[in-house]
Amino acid sequence: MPMRPELASLGRAPKIVLLGSGGLSIGQAGEFDYSGSQAAKALLEEGCEVIIINPNIATVQTNPQPNVKIYLYPVEPEWVEKVIAKEKPDAIVAGFGGQTALNCVIALHHQGVLNAHNVLNLGTSIATLEMTEDRDLFAKKMREINIPVPASFAVTTYKDAEKAAAEIGYPVIVRAAYALGGLGSGFANNKTELEVLVTTALASSPQVLVEKSLKGWKEVEYEVMRDSENNIITICNMENFDPLGIHTGDSIVVCPSQTLSDDEYQLLRNAAQKIVGACGVIGECNVQYTLDPRSHDYFVIEINARLSRSSALASKASGYPIAYVAAKVVLGYDLLELKNPVTGITFAYFEPALDYVTLKVPRWDLVKFKNASRKLGSTMKSVGEVMGIGRSFPEAVQKSIRMVTENGQGLSYFKNDNVADEDLIEALQNPTDTRFYAVLNALHKGWDIERIHKLTSIDKWFLARVQEITSTERTISLLAAKEAVTATDDQFVTQFLGNVDTKTLGRWKILGFSDEQIAAIALAEFDRKQNRLKGPLSENRVQKASHVVRNIRKKAGILPVVKKIDTTAGEYPSPSNYLYMSYVGLFHDPMVDDGKKPVIVLGSGAYRIGTSVEFDWCAVSSSRKLQDEGYRSVIVNCNPETVSTDYNSSDRLYFEEMTLERILDISDLEKPIGIIACMGGQLPNKLALPLASAGIKLLGHSEQTIDMAENRSAFSALLDTLGIDQPNWVAATSKKDIDTFIEKIGFPVLVRPSYVLSGAAMRVAYDRDSLDKFLAVAIDLSSDHPVVISEFLMGAREIELDGIARDGEILTAIVSEHVENAGVHSGDATMVVPAQKLYVDTVRQVRRAGHLIAKGLKLNGPFNIQFLAKQNHIKVIECNARAARSFPFVSKVVGLNLADAATDVIMGLEPKLFRFNEDDLPHVGVKAPMFSFTRLSGADPVLGVEMASTGEVGCIGPTFEEALLLSLEAAKCRRPKKGVLVSAGPEHEKLKFLECAKFFRDINLPIYATAGTAKFLELHGIEVKKLDWPGESNRDVMSAIKNGLVDLVINVPKNIQRQELSYGSQIRQAAARFGCSLITNMELAVAFATALARLPDFVKTHDVVALPNYKTL
Amino acid sequence: MRLSGSSERQKCFLELSDGSRFDGELIGAPLQASGELVFTTGMVGYSEAMTDPSYFGQILVFTYPLIGNYGIPSLPKGLSWPIQRGFESNRVNTSAVILAIDSEEAFHWNSFQTLDTWLKEQGVPGIVGLDTRHLVHLVRQTANLLGQVTPEKSEGERSYGEFSTAVKKNGGFFDPGAYEIIREVSSKERVVIGKGSKRIGLVDCGVKWNIVRQLVEHGCEVEILPWDTDFSKVDVSGWLLSNGPGDPKKTGDLVKRVSGLLKDSRPILGICLGHQILALAAGAETKRMAYGHRSHNQPVYQVGTRKGCITSQNHGYVVDESTLPPEWEAWFRNANDQENEGIKHKTKPFRSVQFHPEAAGGPRDTGWIIEQFVTEVKS
Repeated sequence: MPMRPELASLGRAPKIVLLGSGGLSIGQAGEFDYSGSQAAKALLEEGCEVIIINPNIATVQTNPQPNVKIYLYPVEPEWVEKVIAKEKPDAIVAGFGGQTALNCVIALHHQGVLNAHNVLNLGTSIATLEMTEDRDLFAKKMREINIPVPASFAVTTYKDAEKAAAEIGYPVIVRAAYALGGLGSGFANNKTELEVLVTTALASSPQVLVEKSLKGWKEVEYEVMRDSENNIITICNMENFDPLGIHTGDSIVVCPSQTLSDDEYQLLRNAAQKIVGACGVIGECNVQYTLDPRSHDYFVIEINARLSRSSALASKASGYPIAYVAAKVVLGYDLLELKNPVTGITFAYFEPALDYVTLKVPRWDLVKFKNASRKLGSTMKSVGEVMGIGRSFPEAVQKSIRMVTENGQGLSYFKNDNVADEDLIEALQNPTDTRFYAVLNALHKGWDIERIHKLTSIDKWFLARVQEITSTERTISLLAAKEAVTATDDQFVTQFLGNVDTKTLGRWKILGFSDEQIAAIALAEFDRKQNRLKGPLSENRVQKASHVVRNIRKKAGILPVVKKIDTTAGEYPSPSNYLYMSYVGLFHDPMVDDGKKPVIVLGSGAYRIGTSVEFDWCAVSSSRKLQDEGYRSVIVNCNPETVSTDYNSSDRLYFEEMTLERILDISDLEKPIGIIACMGGQLPNKLALPLASAGIKLLGHSEQTIDMAENRSAFSALLDTLGIDQPNWVAATSKKDIDTFIEKIGFPVLVRPSYVLSGAAMRVAYDRDSLDKFLAVAIDLSSDHPVVISEFLMGAREIELDGIARDGEILTAIVSEHVENAGVHSGDATMVVPAQKLYVDTVRQVRRAGHLIAKGLKLNGPFNIQFLAKQNHIKVIECNARAARSFPFVSKVVGLNLADAATDVIMGLEPKLFRFNEDDLPHVGVKAPMFSFTRLSGADPVLGVEMASTGEVGCIGPTFEEALLLSLEAAKCRRPKKGVLVSAGPEHEKLKFLECAKFFRDINLPIYATAGTAKFLELHGIEVKKLDWPGESNRDVMSAIKNGLVDLVINVPKNIQRQELSYGSQIRQAAARFGCSLITNMELAVAFATALARLPDFVKTHDVVALPNYKTL
Repeated sequence: MRLSGSSERQKCFLELSDGSRFDGELIGAPLQASGELVFTTGMVGYSEAMTDPSYFGQILVFTYPLIGNYGIPSLPKGLSWPIQRGFESNRVNTSAVILAIDSEEAFHWNSFQTLDTWLKEQGVPGIVGLDTRHLVHLVRQTANLLGQVTPEKSEGERSYGEFSTAVKKNGGFFDPGAYEIIREVSSKERVVIGKGSKRIGLVDCGVKWNIVRQLVEHGCEVEILPWDTDFSKVDVSGWLLSNGPGDPKKTGDLVKRVSGLLKDSRPILGICLGHQILALAAGAETKRMAYGHRSHNQPVYQVGTRKGCITSQNHGYVVDESTLPPEWEAWFRNANDQENEGIKHKTKPFRSVQFHPEAAGGPRDTGWIIEQFVTEVKS
């Protein structure tokens, strides 16, 4: 069937609302930019007019383009309704915006909005969506069609529990309902154990769930697509490395399944077809199963009738453009009439055949969240992921570990022979973010597969593959240990490899060992022989020696080959440009020579705290610009959640590791005119200098520029020469250095180790005591690893300058301002363009300093400079000679695509710049951070110098207040309706709060406060309800939060870096857990309160506006 | 290929009729073997494929690089009910297998042995460590690409049953297309299996066990008939013309005997080779395809509908739809190349499909075809 008659009969372009997923948070991340962008492309191809509602300003999806209107609004029913009322669309599509979009469309349906405005919901029906979301309804439906679901009984007495267990059969799992953190849960193998568990659980919870225990069962997913003709295809299946029990987002996922027989594969495939058919899904659906590792028994766990993280992964793993095809399917087309764009000659109705194996490995950043529990379970905690593609399983494993850790030495770097057996057993039995390394170390220790399997339930086939890696590592070590000591590293590695035959070295490469890894294993033996092996080897040293390995293996003809991902395993000729590299094979797949000059663009790697979708936007913009200018754009990236790894985003996509070795391999083949390393954030930036040393031409900033900007001393010296002030600092290598510095500057000071990524391990020390404590636990003071201690300015404004320079001249630069005072990591700050509260002269000084720095560094490309300003005096914090996190925000707010213009400069072309003045903007843009604390039990949701946000949103409005309210709401800081709870911390913060209090009083919002703050407010004539500290009485702050008396919590910590579980921390955690809006910074609180008071009837009075298109000359 | 550990495997090389040669390592029996090079892109179902009689005389290249992961179940000696799953006949039919990496141990609950030991037991050689994707490119580019697998220390020639002598005498590559190989894969005697009110005559052209399993599961008594059986001496309620290897025209007088069945009105279902034979018997023509269909993901659709099915296929010959007689019509077509995938008689209960409704391995979307046939036989 072609397009649905309701749309086809309109006689004009159908107008379709496409809902996005909002800011990136744990569980809902970049994959929805990928899905959403593909969906938009598909809808546009079919002649639709697309209205995108998504406040995630850093996405590719929210790029203005012809026939697309972008509304940067919260994906909340009231705002979507306003856009619908204004745009009068014909239909709405919610399946590409995650759970957020799905919840929104369900609400719109129930509120009658869709009916009232005559808007058709495309794709899976609301009724089906609701059925699949409801545990009981879904189970009922499954039983109707004879699909097994795990038995589950809710009981209130032990007697009933015993009956339930008897019916289900032991072992059973007992779960206390309504208990947070899995309290009162456990396994019972018999009646006795059941009694203990149930009576304990019933003591704290009125109801207990008795369910079949599926401990140790396999977890398998199928990605299925169904069209309106009931044609159903399985795009691929995926098998979790970890057995059931760990959220699939936190599991290592293997695609296609490796340990399932044809019978098992088809059994679950058939069930998936039956399920989606019976549920009437239209479009994409994910089906999750658990399979008995000892029989053909299985259960369906749940289905997701929408694009999901898994479907994005499946899309990248199989090469099948799921979202693109699904978008056409929801328009009404059937799979038999849609072409498979990967081959161009076959149809969308088929199932991809893979001839490689992929491994998704999650990236957790749990160390970045203070006190966060590192246990893995049913709540997802990872912030990003990578996918390794190989033709041997160990190759895929080793690649993905290098990708996710950004360490060229890969698995060998994590080898630890000194773990005690008890610790290892604990780490294997109770999974945390480091379990994979525990498996590795157990194998290194010589534990057999059977033992590890018993402790982890990980399938023995997987363990055997990992064992191939560890046993080979041992072989490499033993061989290296036989070598005599030489004068230099290079000589040792040369001598060692001279005694290894070509076939053996080739095997190591097939097993995924990197050149750096082989060098590191050899050098460790070299050091051991000289009794000087202490801890991991330095990265520089290993990287240097890796060149020896590289040269030797190249001479021996041991080279990786390029293979295409073409969805048909080579059965049909394919023009596919989706590539990976492997040592399992001898021949490169044939590639068409387009005759264009190749340019390599490095992507961002895994999303993590500090690197997210914004750098993907930069890389994609740059790649598309290169294509427009006639270059062959070659993207290298390994993150399946990105748009840059959509094969449409470049002329050639290498879904590959972002390591020096692999980029050199790619360069050897592509022979690029140069490489763009300044668009993908920190990771490519770190690779720029090693690449340049290896002879690759850096496009844009020169190596000298990058080196000077990155090197603190050199940059500081430059600032001194230019007469630009900077906070005092010292690179201390001894305790004495620190003391001297403190004597001169006093407290507070900012302390950071030598290499910093997004503020990791940075701390503010307010006094001698906290400084000493921090130095003792976190830092190994030595001349190799100096600690940088710098002056920490209180009450300063923070300003950023984002722009583009050519040959040391700034071509354009935009000033933005943080709402919070300095001290909040720039990634966690609320940012506004144009600046609202700066002196005109401060802005002049910032621009002036920018020009001088650009000249001094000879900047030639995108840059970002961060400043502090206090009483119209500015100091420079740092300069990034690369595109910054704020680029997409700033670009969209001012209407100038900085990444495009930067690419022009990088390529030596004339950028299309226009003169503009931030003061002339018709709107104000505000960017707000998005946090994921609800998923991180134990973590203290507080802002500080360490970045903690997982995403961001950006909205525009005619005034600062409107833009602020929109972006805060989009970041889940909603307008309070019930009450506000304040604990304002130190005196000066209380004073600042007075202003807020008056605004809250004006809007009749009850104010609750803890003792000190309450007393202070009463003294100043503000009516306030006093609450006790947690646990002091039944009128304590915790019960106020739990019972919903308040829906906004303003809690400013006294001391930013305190780690212990204080009252403040308890309050903040409770606020996050119970869905209260939480503000921990007083400047932001004041801005919020002001905006609330000035815009009393905000939703009604606000006139929704679309983001204007990029301005053109 | 052996990735870790110290013991080495014997070298083994593949020579192709286009003159190319590739070196790898031997798994399975240290025997020389020859045949037509074909591939399958299925990611599971290696034991089913290797025992599928349709692969007789062929060297099978697995495009999926990791083969043997879930091991091999225990292979039954004879054919008795219930038939052990995982196998489609009681021997490996492929001349040899080619793959990238085999699993040297298997942990699946249903596994009895590893791929390597099974191949040894079956007297079949295999090469590991080859660039299988490259071989697929070669197969796609060369019509009837033949190959020979030679272990460094070969201990003799793999058996091709009754063709062994002929192959030996001719020397060079074994081209299964040149022989009436149906003789070798068909049952030598009539066997009855299953219990039911109706008996189905299963003309064994190299039948896959899953056809038998499905017929019996649907409540039929199945009489397996050697391919050269005189049908006039058989009393059954319906006929199933099975799958099998090779050129449908190299099947002796089978086509003639099948056309005799068309005078009658008892239901007939043809599968794969059986489909081609039915078409020939009906008066249509078959031809060799430029690109055979060899995968688990072949999309077909019912002619005149928008309804598709994903099917398992392995064939290099196809029915030329333009030659169908007027009383016949196309039933299924391939969505990709529009080649014929099934035919049916306009009035009589005669149908046939090019793909494998019995699957094993591969998707089971079209199992209803066998069920429908049984219903027709029973009514």
